Amino acid sequence: MPNIHSKTALLSVFKRFWRWLPFIGFPLLFIGTTVFAFLGGLDESSTLFQKITHHAALILCFLCLWVAVARLVRNSRPTPIQTFWQTILAILGGSFAAFLAFQIPGDFIDSNPAASIVHVKSALLSAVLAGLSFFIVHRLGLLVRFRRTRRSERNWRFMIILIGVASLSSIPTHHQFEPYFDWPFGIAVYPFVALSLASVIFILMNSVRLAWIVRLSLREKRAAIGLGIAIVALLVSLLVAMANYGSLVSSTTATVPNVFLHFFSYPLFAATSFFFLFGLIYALTSLLSLIFHLPTTGDYRRSTDEMAAMQTLAGLLREVVESEKLYQWAVSTPVESGHANMAWLTVQNLDSGSLTPDIVASCNIESDRIAELCDVTAIHNSIVQTREPVLIQDTLIDARTRKSKSGKFESLLAIPLTTRTEVLAVLFASRDVIHAFEGEDIETIGVFASQATLVLENARLLEAKIERERLANELAIARDVQQRLLPQSMPELPNLNLAASSVAAHEVGGDYFDILELDEGELAFIVADVSGKGTSAAFYMAEMQGIFQAVARIESAPDIFLGYTNRALGESLEKNIFVTAVYGTLNSHSGRVSLARAGHTPAVLVDADGNAKLLHSEGLGIGLDRGELFGDVLEVEHIQLRPDDLLVLYTDGVIESRNNEGEEFGYDRLLQTVQGAHNEDAQGVHDAIRQTVDEFAGTNERYDDDLTLLIIKWHGRKTLSGGTAQTSLS
Amino acid sequence: MSNFSVAFRDSDIATILTVCGELDAHTAPELESAIKKCVDEGKIHLIVEGNGLEYISSAGLGVFMAYIEEIRALNGDIKICALKPKVFGVFDLLGFPRIYHIVETEEEALSLFNQGIQPV
Repeated sequence: MPNIHSKTALLSVFKRFWRWLPFIGFPLLFIGTTVFAFLGGLDESSTLFQKITHHAALILCFLCLWVAVARLVRNSRPTPIQTFWQTILAILGGSFAAFLAFQIPGDFIDSNPAASIVHVKSALLSAVLAGLSFFIVHRLGLLVRFRRTRRSERNWRFMIILIGVASLSSIPTHHQFEPYFDWPFGIAVYPFVALSLASVIFILMNSVRLAWIVRLSLREKRAAIGLGIAIVALLVSLLVAMANYGSLVSSTTATVPNVFLHFFSYPLFAATSFFFLFGLIYALTSLLSLIFHLPTTGDYRRSTDEMAAMQTLAGLLREVVESEKLYQWAVSTPVESGHANMAWLTVQNLDSGSLTPDIVASCNIESDRIAELCDVTAIHNSIVQTREPVLIQDTLIDARTRKSKSGKFESLLAIPLTTRTEVLAVLFASRDVIHAFEGEDIETIGVFASQATLVLENARLLEAKIERERLANELAIARDVQQRLLPQSMPELPNLNLAASSVAAHEVGGDYFDILELDEGELAFIVADVSGKGTSAAFYMAEMQGIFQAVARIESAPDIFLGYTNRALGESLEKNIFVTAVYGTLNSHSGRVSLARAGHTPAVLVDADGNAKLLHSEGLGIGLDRGELFGDVLEVEHIQLRPDDLLVLYTDGVIESRNNEGEEFGYDRLLQTVQGAHNEDAQGVHDAIRQTVDEFAGTNERYDDDLTLLIIKWHGRKTLSGGTAQTSLS
Repeated sequence: MSNFSVAFRDSDIATILTVCGELDAHTAPELESAIKKCVDEGKIHLIVEGNGLEYISSAGLGVFMAYIEEIRALNGDIKICALKPKVFGVFDLLGFPRIYHIVETEEEALSLFNQGIQPV
């Protein structure tokens, strides 16, 4: 553990040292080398070792300066304009410092320093100009690497390294080393020339990275042009001064600043020159590019506005959109993005059914003033017909547009918001000049329109979905209510065995069955079917239930009950709706049944031996005749049940169940099924019928029709078993 | 999709509607609008010829009830003829023969119109 601690401690100390190394290294090395030269370390008597050491120290010294400047510059991220300003101030400051250093007395005589002070003068002059060039490169480097890519990084590093290597390759030509590299054909210069050329190529490559320019506003671009010109001017002046200053101020001495730089260190002079060259070229390319980009500034703004508009829309997409908000977005976007001066949106009013579209939103114009400009209805309706945009390049020449005097309504574009099937709305955009809408404007406004369509349709689908869910909820409630209208349990009576069920094809249905215990072992039962399915049938079914529960208690005789029902329901039934019913009473002690059929599928009577027959008594459906005929036609069948006789009541859902071939279940299958199961109790018979019907219908999983069954089995008076039930008609 | 059709044919005393296919909740409106059209045009002596009728549901039966009162109030009638036994069974079950003239042939229906015989 302590080992690791000491290791990390050591590491942090090392890191701290590393961070400060350039800032300490540069002044130490600089002062060291300068003092060494000042004290005569570089005169004629100095050895090659001394010269090499001196140069190595210098290289290290300016490497430290390079890193130090990089560190100082790295932490700030100025805007392009700030960068330009900083560059200008640095050039001014650096030039002034260089000017001061140049004032130190001391000159050369026959390329040799006249005094030791010349060493100091050269060192200071070189350091100031090198520092300035380093700063320029680092600062402008940030612009070069704006929106950096792997490639741009690589090119930038290559340029720096090439300049460094090219500069170092100039060492053999330095006056101190010239004697050692006195090779034929001046070969020692070749690498320097080659590397210099490569450096210049990379300088040019990096100088065309100007992506930062497009983002500038017009004002910023103008400012940048001014500052760029200043930078170019200052750098040119500086370079001219470095090459000519001495000869300009004094005609007697031709010693120019470059000579001192040259004298001090070839590589540094070369590097400084390359960096100034880069600064100059980059400032020039920036300047040119800025000038060329001036006219496209508006377009760029527009496209960024379009992007912003799309982002707003994306935001709208995520929330539940009220139509109002969306309409407003659709009309304000073309105006805000500069594609239109005025815009409005028309929507067909489906509720009123009128052919005049409603103006649901407008931008830069009041809705009620739009009619003064153009015939919105005509344009809207023609677009609904064709689904194609309408472009009127000059509102004067189209009959549908009336030019206003203000001259603000000169060209008009109307674009439909279309889904696959219909035109949801029409977006109108107008401009204050004729022929204002070019291909690109039309495309862009078209994009707005299609985006708005998307959101609008989304909102509508959502609305429809909510409505569907609400309806489904309502229907689920209706279903529960209807289920409670049916008996929840079968009454327990001596000698009797009952089973029943009702399945609706839809959430709610028109089938009804019920059983009511009357006095003295008497029972009233009913199976009824309202024609049609679904909600309306369910209401009549509920009415039927009310009538049964109320009337059967008082007037249980089949003819009276059904006659009353026909009168009561006849009042409320629609003309094309009728109800069929089988109604009867049964005495559980005696086994006497009175049964009547009002247009319903006939009940099945099965005796203990399995003989089955349909009870076809006469009777009209309820609602067919609202007069006397119903009662006149109705027959009541009186049946004396034998023990273990079965009564099967059902709705036409059983008979009309279809298999995959479209064949109906029919009466024969029903009778066979009942006969096959007649020894079972009521529930067993019920289950057998349901199962047989289900198997018959096969993959037609849902019932086509409501399906209801009521099975009554009478066990009473076993002593009289045998023989068939006696029936008689009254 | 729909395998139901209604065809009109005018004779001198009645309009004959020949129905084919399956008359159920989906196709009932077709027959209903056909009858409505006849009534609107003042044709109140209608014969529905059902030889091609394969199936009829309660909604189909309802169509006959929808206009019968109106037509009879104008001294017209709807008579039904040439039904297949299975389809007749459905009419019969509900008691239609007690309210409507349901006859074997078109000629019978026409002669009933000729004699001016109305159902009870």
